[in-house]
Amino acid sequence: MTRAFINLQNVGLNFEGQLSTYEGLSGWWKRRFISRKMSAPSSYRIEALKNINLKIQHGERIGLIGLNGAGKSTLLKVMAGIYPSTSGRVEIKGHVCPMFEFATGFEMSQSGWDNMRIRGMLLGMTPDEIEARLPEIAEFTELGEFLDYPVRTYSSGMFIRLAFAVSTSINPEILLIDEVMGAGDIAFAEKAKRRMFKFMEQGKILVFTTHNFNLLEDFCSRTVWLHKGEIVADGPTSDVVKQYSEEHKNI
Amino acid sequence: MTRNQKLLADTLKATRLWRVWTFLGVQDIKARFRRSFFGPLWIIMTTAFFVGGVGMVYGLLFGQAVHEFLPYLAGGFAIWSLILSSLTDASGSFIRAEGYIKQFSYPKQIYLMRNLVSYTIVFLIGILVLIPVQLFFDQFVLKGWLLAVPGIFILLLGTLGHITISAYVGTRFRDYPHAMGVVLQMLFFITPIMFPAEILQQKGLSFIYQYNPFYYLIDVVRHPILQNEWALSENYIFAVIYVLVIWTAAILIAYRLDSRVVFLL
Repeated sequence: MTRAFINLQNVGLNFEGQLSTYEGLSGWWKRRFISRKMSAPSSYRIEALKNINLKIQHGERIGLIGLNGAGKSTLLKVMAGIYPSTSGRVEIKGHVCPMFEFATGFEMSQSGWDNMRIRGMLLGMTPDEIEARLPEIAEFTELGEFLDYPVRTYSSGMFIRLAFAVSTSINPEILLIDEVMGAGDIAFAEKAKRRMFKFMEQGKILVFTTHNFNLLEDFCSRTVWLHKGEIVADGPTSDVVKQYSEEHKNI
Repeated sequence: MTRNQKLLADTLKATRLWRVWTFLGVQDIKARFRRSFFGPLWIIMTTAFFVGGVGMVYGLLFGQAVHEFLPYLAGGFAIWSLILSSLTDASGSFIRAEGYIKQFSYPKQIYLMRNLVSYTIVFLIGILVLIPVQLFFDQFVLKGWLLAVPGIFILLLGTLGHITISAYVGTRFRDYPHAMGVVLQMLFFITPIMFPAEILQQKGLSFIYQYNPFYYLIDVVRHPILQNEWALSENYIFAVIYVLVIWTAAILIAYRLDSRVVFLL
């Protein structure tokens, strides 16, 4: 069995783009003739991650904390290979299983069953594996006959159930989770929680973002605190959580 | 990992995931015709209507015999539709897959292959319409269809090149599908599809199709099916050269834009 690991060296990531008011022909016109004197910027450049050094070994479970916009999700997406880093080295060994969003990535005109198949495949299951697990997944969603309906008829909660059930049915190697308990209504929440915890136990490497300190202390011995794209603290969970709470006590 | 290593590794990985993109491509066909009464029959009916209508008028206009002209039109139209999709519709390959690209780690190239699968299915259905037409006029010869296989292979390679270019450029420059639509609409009327190439030849206007790469892509498929013989060898050569040029361009474009696609969605 291969040993999974994640190794980030001096990783930086910038987002760049044009502000929408200055796009296209009308934007060109505005820049050229109207707002010439105004010094409003027409493009943006954000350093989302700066000089990230992080080594994660096989068997480690890591919590990511930080304020909104600190770069937690961006860092997870770099680890998942979705965002290519602007600078630095990213080394990842092992099959990555990202759990980022439960609300997008559906084929609206297709049935719940077909969407479960597509999602399973994109998460790395083979068609045979998916077919074998479909009954179990379907049962967990409690969607019953709605699974035969095209998903455009679903409510947002039903989307979450479907996506959550499929995502948690795979055998993850490297498991990356954004907002561990962002899913599910009250009736579903308790059941989802149990399934999620069981699922998190399986990953050879687990990295997740959360704002729940109890969850951090239950699940991981190591916590990384991000602030404005930089690692502020990286160490034993109790220490980092203490520092973090001190810092944000006044808010 | 450098940029070209990553592109190569992603491409190889995407190739190994053939079951994923085949599945997605077939699903796309199903989704496209879901809730429509005639379903995929529309592919056949599109060709049939075009051939029926245009065939009558242009057949008279250019003095073509119906039994030769109808299969000619049907073949050319099916191939042209494939070229058209690969240069216009394909520009949305990544844009339509945004929900997937931003949350799953599979290489983006599977979304190119997915389109190749669905376009190929539509193309094959479209070109198979020729068989009943040929049977009706008592022209069907299996040998011609077998001789067309290498041509179809070249055409599909070219299509993959087109899809790659369209997907990357179309994500970066959203004007691309509109611009291609304009250019291709014009090309449709000057490419020998609705009229035989000989007509241009007779008027001393051969250069109009000789400089048109799509003519060669079409001819290497259409000529064997209709005439039961190989197309001119120079036409194969030109078609292959075009495919090589397109692939070179596709690789260069993918190399430049691959790492930026996710930020452009």
